[in-house]
Amino acid sequence: MCGIAGRILAAPGKVGADLVDLMDAQEHRGADSTGFAVYGLPRETGYVLRGMGFDKSQLDADLIKFEAILREHGSSFLSDPAIVADDNPHYCFRMEISDPANLKAWVADADELTDRIEIQSCGRSLEIIKDIGGAEAVAEKHGVRDLIGTHGLGHARLATESSVLPNASHPFWARPFSDVAIVHNGQITDYFTWRDRLTRMGYRFLTENDSELIAVWVSDQMKAGLTMEQALKKSITSIDGVFTYMIATQNGIGFAKDRFAMKPLVVVNRNGDLAAATEEQAVRRVMTEECDVINYDGPSLTGIWGVGNRSLAA
Amino acid sequence: MSEVAERMDEIVIEVGKRHIREVNRDIMDACATGRPIRVVNTLSRHNLGVGLPDNVDITFEGSVGYYCGGLNTGANISIERNCGWAVGEGMAKGHITVGGYAGMSCGAAMIGGTIHVKGDAGPRVGVAMKGGNIVVEGKIGYQSGFMAHSGRIIALGGAGESCADALWEGEVWVAGEVDSLGVDVDVIEPTAEEVAEVDAILEPLGLVDSSRNWRKMVSGQRLWYFESRDASAWLMI
Repeated sequence: MCGIAGRILAAPGKVGADLVDLMDAQEHRGADSTGFAVYGLPRETGYVLRGMGFDKSQLDADLIKFEAILREHGSSFLSDPAIVADDNPHYCFRMEISDPANLKAWVADADELTDRIEIQSCGRSLEIIKDIGGAEAVAEKHGVRDLIGTHGLGHARLATESSVLPNASHPFWARPFSDVAIVHNGQITDYFTWRDRLTRMGYRFLTENDSELIAVWVSDQMKAGLTMEQALKKSITSIDGVFTYMIATQNGIGFAKDRFAMKPLVVVNRNGDLAAATEEQAVRRVMTEECDVINYDGPSLTGIWGVGNRSLAA
Repeated sequence: MSEVAERMDEIVIEVGKRHIREVNRDIMDACATGRPIRVVNTLSRHNLGVGLPDNVDITFEGSVGYYCGGLNTGANISIERNCGWAVGEGMAKGHITVGGYAGMSCGAAMIGGTIHVKGDAGPRVGVAMKGGNIVVEGKIGYQSGFMAHSGRIIALGGAGESCADALWEGEVWVAGEVDSLGVDVDVIEPTAEEVAEVDAILEPLGLVDSSRNWRKMVSGQRLWYFESRDASAWLMI
């Protein structure tokens, strides 16, 4: 049992604060770890990276190695990396880098360091913040409430399959596709088969978490020419298990539900001002007045919600 | 506004962000007075009004979350708008009215009483129910009546896919379109006496309509005991 959420604002604003509220209301669905995928205002060039290192005593050495690989790909830090650490052995980072010559090639090389340091998101606007603890604790540690953006995802995790570490929690970045993130509630039962197939195609998986598969699977289908809508529909008959997942890109959020309708999804959509969550009570944290709620309770459902207004309104 | 107030003869209880255990304790205290109860600012919160006693009239303003009215032992419960999953789960007695949509597993495992949904209902209405009646004015969702042991599900606005899947001794009555039947279902023509029994349930709700073309679904009883010749039916599950 996990809790997921999505939020699209009618105009850019404090999407981070709303995602924290949505996840705080669902903390009872999984308090191992909480994560947020926030789509900020997109930059013209350069990428924002979010990620973690496993041993904070090795921070300086990690960064030197990381920067060396960046330089090999014609990229560099645009500002000093921001580091957040506490009593836990791991540390989390946020970096801004200039465009590598080839993003995919750079990600492959940077992933050589994944025993020490791991990139968890890369995007013109996407930033994935995930850490162990409840919504408010993670939000306070990483300043999530202050994040400005257009849309985003949230996840509260009850670990059933893999370790309780920030890197095994959601949202997952669709490595190496920039600006794609997913959150998932459920279990994928043919995970190992699909993971093997995709690994043979050259994709890299960093965790034992079944949900990481969905992000890469959908992105791979889209790379092969399917629209997001087609890929979401295809996932229902191609991926085995129970799931309600949401996938976000810079353009919006899509969702798919399994054939057995095992996991809930509730949505309020008011002309592009949209909140989606596992539980209605979470949606009502950000839409407090009585409103028309859509219950996606049925089986084999998909949908896509676009981001309407990207410009900062006066 | 204070958390518990009085308005005319009603006791008004505020939910908001309070702990549900505290809200339910206030509801129980109000039940002891015998006066009507109105619960406000419900914000779709879960587990409201669980285990309510007999002879209580309670109204939930707006929409509620999961398990509202669960384990009811006789209260008359009214939910103004929508409810989340498993409204009236395991209830033994009493009456629940849902003004709008009822989420997944409405009346799951209930053993008595009546649930009346004015809108549509989600998947698995009356899953594993063991008695009582569920009346849905709209359409019942996917796999409604799944493994219902006893009791009646009555849908006036049609049914979704896999209707009445793997029934035991429960009955599913549908007026309107049925998208598809579940496994091991027999659709039978109800007798006039049986229709009269259903009308007796609908009568106090003001929903009797003699022009309805009923479809009554009962178990085909092929899944009650395993027979190797029925292996194909088992594989469909």
